[in-house]
Amino acid sequence: MRLKWKMTLASLKMFFRQREAILWTVLFPLFVIILFSFIKFDGLGRMHLGIANEAGGRAGALTEALQSVKTFEIFEGTRESELRELEKGERDVVLIIPESFNPALAGSVTAFADVEAKPREAQLASLVLQRALDELTFHQAPNANRLLLKTEPVKTRNLTYIDFLIPGVLSMAIMQMGIFGVAFSFVSLKKRGILRRLWVTPINPGDFIIAQISTRVIAILIQMVLMIGVGMLFLNLHFVGNPLSIVVIGLLGAVVFLGFGFSLAGISKSEDQVAPLANLISLPMMLLSGVFFSRSNLPGVLHAITGFFPLTYLADAMRSVAIDGATLFQVGPQLAGLAAWGVVSVFIAARMFRWE
Amino acid sequence: MAEEILTVSNLIKRYGDLVAVNGVSFAVLRQEIFGILGPNGAGKTTTLETIETLRPIEGGEIAVNGIDVRRNPQAVKRIIGVQLQSSTFFDKLNLVELLSLFGELYGRTVDPLALLDEVELRDRAKEYVGNLSGGQKQRFSIAAALVNEPLVIFLDEPTTGLDPQARRHLWGVIRRIRSEGKTIVLTTHYMDEAEYLCDRVAIMDRGNIIALDAPHRLVTQLLENGFKKEKIQHLANLEDVFLSLTGHVLREE
Repeated sequence: MRLKWKMTLASLKMFFRQREAILWTVLFPLFVIILFSFIKFDGLGRMHLGIANEAGGRAGALTEALQSVKTFEIFEGTRESELRELEKGERDVVLIIPESFNPALAGSVTAFADVEAKPREAQLASLVLQRALDELTFHQAPNANRLLLKTEPVKTRNLTYIDFLIPGVLSMAIMQMGIFGVAFSFVSLKKRGILRRLWVTPINPGDFIIAQISTRVIAILIQMVLMIGVGMLFLNLHFVGNPLSIVVIGLLGAVVFLGFGFSLAGISKSEDQVAPLANLISLPMMLLSGVFFSRSNLPGVLHAITGFFPLTYLADAMRSVAIDGATLFQVGPQLAGLAAWGVVSVFIAARMFRWE
Repeated sequence: MAEEILTVSNLIKRYGDLVAVNGVSFAVLRQEIFGILGPNGAGKTTTLETIETLRPIEGGEIAVNGIDVRRNPQAVKRIIGVQLQSSTFFDKLNLVELLSLFGELYGRTVDPLALLDEVELRDRAKEYVGNLSGGQKQRFSIAAALVNEPLVIFLDEPTTGLDPQARRHLWGVIRRIRSEGKTIVLTTHYMDEAEYLCDRVAIMDRGNIIALDAPHRLVTQLLENGFKKEKIQHLANLEDVFLSLTGHVLREE
């Protein structure tokens, strides 16, 4: 035990004295987050309008009219589901058309919006909506009473792009630490004969591997604290997750990607061989696993395929827990996916890993 | 001093069709400095690495201090110290940290500064190995081979690439370590080094030992067989000129 601890300590010293490694594996993800926080993706695009139509066909003309309004991207659902989406920040405004709605009679519909967090959206939406209602009544019966729009202010969590981004980048950082952090350093130890020098001592190879893994895991934990901490302190990250669940997910992700790292270290003889392989594995995931942008915009086949990527499972689980406060049980499918990848990657690593 | 501490009998090592070591046998005596000489590819390093437990034994027997290398490599590792041909160490640990770590690998708490004194590197204690000169690296490598107070120390081409001052300095270090009761097995390409350092040498060629004796006796045998050097023997050589001009003082770049 003492030896494992001493070796981990030595290995941590080496790790944190390598400025380039720290720069790329720890600080770079942080830079990415801070950089992206300056870009206001939230201000782009159309306003998300949720409609809960409880009046059925009687409101058909209204919803049709709203579909043609270019300002809105329309989502339809039940009152509960749309209000929940509003609360999460997925909708800017939610319009409830009550069962009693009848374009021929006087009455009211209600629009919910967080007027404090999104005053512009709320104001604009209520103008456009009232206008749509007016046109509807005028069109149907010019003398009918006016249909009124009631605006209900609600308090939402007002999730922003940062809330999407940080759990994603954190997952990406775990991947990079596992794949690049392990593969490069091991191949270099192999190539330079440092491992041979170790094997003429009575060292137990298992102890050495454990020390190497512990070092990466500790680095990953530091990274998690750092990123979530910076996010909460400076970037208004709405972190509501259970930190312990985040750690469990992070460790499961670490197992998967450390497995990849050791597999690559086993296959490759030199750094030149590691680099393309490591990039081949990590780049598609970085771009397509929903780290920076939601996968929902991907075309069907690609969407289906990327759903099986280990980084997708990791990022989705991380995000659900961190931002939506999901329990480990609720992200069970993602954890199962990760665990399956973990079995695969550890198996390959055990088969492929070579000391010489 | 007649006790055998290392015995190699009928050692065989093949790489595919190539026979790297072809039934080599020799014994090294306690507190001896034993040299293995030979051209590149003669099988020196392979022989050494097989004794050091780095390569599996395909044929033959090796025993270090009576311990069978094939059967109990872990026990052998505990009583030998090794300097590999291209000894590199972890990048970002200083000399003291490296020696402590290597001590831990043997379950020992070492005194790194005392070990550095042994090879005259105390003043570089907080340096990384990467910042040392060639001679200093080799000396550090020897210090690292001493952490477990080994009975036998293996040095693979310890002076290759060093300037004459650094070589002579290292010879002094090697002799001092022997005087402390240790046995040393080394390989070298330098005949003057073998002549100066080694009590006995084995000359290898194509995987075989073709001569084994004390250097002066090998020379005597050759002369008795009628060998005559073509050139007149000078009483000094160019190296003597170089050293008398530049001094014996060690240079550290």
